[in-house]
Amino acid sequence: MAEGFKLRICFRKSGRLRFLSHLETGRAWERAARRAGLPYAVSQGFTPRMRIAFGPALPVGTAGEREYLDIVLKRFIPVAEVTEVLRASVVPELGLVTCGYVPPAEGSLASRLTIAVYEVEIEGGSPQQEIERSLNALVGTGRLSVEHKGKHKVFELAKALPKKPEVRSQEGRTIVRMWVRMGEQGSLRPEVFIAAAVGPDRVVSVTRTDLLIEDQQSWRRPL
Amino acid sequence: MMAVSVSSDLWLQVERLLPHVERPTRYIDHEWGACRRDDAAYRVALMYPDAYEVGMANQALEVLAARLQELEDVATERVFLPWVDMSAAMREAAIPLFTLESYTPVCEVDLFGITLSNELTYSNVLEALDLAGIPLRAVDRDDSHPLVIGGGPSAHNPEPMAPFFDAILIGDGEDAVQEIVASHRASIASGVTREESVHALATIEGVYVPSLYTPGSDGRCMASQPAPDRVRRRILADLDAYPAPVCPVVPYADVVHDRATVEVLRGCSRGCRFCQAGMVYRPVRERSADSIVRDAIAGLACTGYEELSLTSLSTADHSQLEPILRRLVARLEGTGTAISVPSLRMDSFTVPLARLLGNGRKSGLTFAPEAGSQRLRDAINKNITEEEVVTAVHEAFTAGWRRVKLYFMIGLPTETDEDVRAIGALVEKVLHVAREATPKGERGGLRVAVSVATFVPKAHTPFQWDGQTPIDEVRRRQRILRDSVPHRGVELSWHDPSSSLLEAALARGGREMADGIEAAWRVGARFDAWTEQFSLTRWLEAFASVGLDMTAAASTAYVQGEPLPWSHIDSGLAEKFLRLERARADSAITTPDCTFEECTGCGVCTDLGVDISIAEGGRRG
Repeated sequence: MAEGFKLRICFRKSGRLRFLSHLETGRAWERAARRAGLPYAVSQGFTPRMRIAFGPALPVGTAGEREYLDIVLKRFIPVAEVTEVLRASVVPELGLVTCGYVPPAEGSLASRLTIAVYEVEIEGGSPQQEIERSLNALVGTGRLSVEHKGKHKVFELAKALPKKPEVRSQEGRTIVRMWVRMGEQGSLRPEVFIAAAVGPDRVVSVTRTDLLIEDQQSWRRPL
Repeated sequence: MMAVSVSSDLWLQVERLLPHVERPTRYIDHEWGACRRDDAAYRVALMYPDAYEVGMANQALEVLAARLQELEDVATERVFLPWVDMSAAMREAAIPLFTLESYTPVCEVDLFGITLSNELTYSNVLEALDLAGIPLRAVDRDDSHPLVIGGGPSAHNPEPMAPFFDAILIGDGEDAVQEIVASHRASIASGVTREESVHALATIEGVYVPSLYTPGSDGRCMASQPAPDRVRRRILADLDAYPAPVCPVVPYADVVHDRATVEVLRGCSRGCRFCQAGMVYRPVRERSADSIVRDAIAGLACTGYEELSLTSLSTADHSQLEPILRRLVARLEGTGTAISVPSLRMDSFTVPLARLLGNGRKSGLTFAPEAGSQRLRDAINKNITEEEVVTAVHEAFTAGWRRVKLYFMIGLPTETDEDVRAIGALVEKVLHVAREATPKGERGGLRVAVSVATFVPKAHTPFQWDGQTPIDEVRRRQRILRDSVPHRGVELSWHDPSSSLLEAALARGGREMADGIEAAWRVGARFDAWTEQFSLTRWLEAFASVGLDMTAAASTAYVQGEPLPWSHIDSGLAEKFLRLERARADSAITTPDCTFEECTGCGVCTDLGVDISIAEGGRRG
């Protein structure tokens, strides 16, 4: 992006607002930025628009704990001040987690964020070890073929899941933590993987807990 | 009335359905600006009887909600009709219709207010009452049910929906809603019966209590005490005394008209003879430039919208529009905010206006010549010349627009095949002018959208006696039109004439229509404004099953001098005026606008005790 100050915002999509679509979430944040009175930059051209860009889409019904957007400001505003005005301009379920400036030359969120971390809650009934065995067995097959909206896709699991899923029990609930690689060919949906491993209709909720940048074998948060 | 407990487990039940329905954002509330008042002693549910994304665009409900929020101890919440997938899931799970903010079952509120914005939402009203568990007919309700009160433009002929309402407000609601709530609260406090509390409403100016009127053999509705013989339309004299609601709820979903709005004036006296709004919202009352600019800026700041719309029946007629736009453009420079002015008249679209609106983000541009020939435009009193059409299009394309939308109607009284062909000729001329005004390299993206509606005769207009043109004849004229409109660069679209037929029957009929509406709802009619949900056959058969002929109800003319189903509703218009206007239509004689020239004798100002109110004072122009 050209001149200006690139502010990176980390926000959540939680509670009942997990039902927002990517488009709805984006529009809600654009309006929050306007309400907050941020000195946002506007694109040139026939229909000038706020210079704002979002990270990878989160499906309707999936919550996110650390989602990201970049917005270009015409003036520098201290982070403490931005935090204060934004907290007062957006509903808590879509609230600000943290924010900070990134170098203007920093690549777009969509291109830099390649690892998504999910937590999938599975309905009770099976012991933790049994779930673990099922997940490992599926990973061991090496491939998963998926039908989505009439399209057929095959995922190489070693590539799609860069780290082994972890299972834990918490207050009587079974939670699977998964690391999914996002790419141009799309990414494996965690609920699809879980259903293939343990059977259909057992996923209670899906939450994306983190989005990470892959930098020379190490992973880091974008802020 | 029973005490209301806020039902948090109702949300939990609804939440379970949401992963399985279309667009769950319709049902989740928690938008910016949504507010609850859980401890309020009196609860109001305000409904627009259509899907969320249509209802959220309704400015009248925003205004009424803001007026009710001013009252102490009163909670006002929104209700929309769940889409068909959701209502099926709700019935299956025994979940009743709920308010959005607190998930209170609608049957537990004190007052259920429903907008009657157009006839194609009538079946939705019955669907909502049934989902709420409220008896469809007022006569079957008891003390445990909320008062069901209607209002809105279609209420000017309330009869087809009369049996389903306890009361219906005719006219401006700003003051009347507060009075209705006060009256009902007083009735509750004094412990009177439901019937007595409903009758008490009849003494509020503008409130029609259908149970106090009996249709006679000649069709005229006769009043009994304490109701007046004729219900006089409620009207506000000074709009500036009522600030526009600047912090309405900001939806997440992509709704119709998703933008900040400020009403700049109410009423229009251009006098188009087909236009019900232009007749029943007289006289013109402009808001001052200062209050419009103030509310527009405050509204954008509070909502964060990227578009501002200056709304009214005819915004370009506001005597101060240019200075208002100049001030707004200056304030909004560099913010990427678009300003839109709907309902532009072609004769008011001037060069400076085109430049002001063309600055920054351009919104769509829509004009309504309504008819193709000068003769027919004169007959309907559109008061627009072909030269004005051509000039407006030239200005728009010179100022940078590449797309314009034109509205026309077919089936207008006195229309001939020649008039229909004239639409094609006019569109061709517009296309030519648009091309000429567009630089050569940009002509590829040039579009003229032509939208053609079927004329629906409405109550309280000079065409109120006319029947609708029969549907086969409408279809024949549509074919003529299709053959005469140029294809390249033109996007031609129609309103489905079969839904216009339903609209006409429900707009012109009397109280007997209620049986037909109920019968149609019982066999599945709802969301009739949605093409994929509407079935004309279902309506025709439902009407026939209760001995009614819907086609005749739409197309049979009324005889002047005989009582009309809406004769007991006093819109302020003198019948003498409407008859004179009807006669002038036959001779294609135009009548001027009284805000520019002398009084036309429509009767509204004297009957309702109000006056034209122009921001600068005096007359326009």
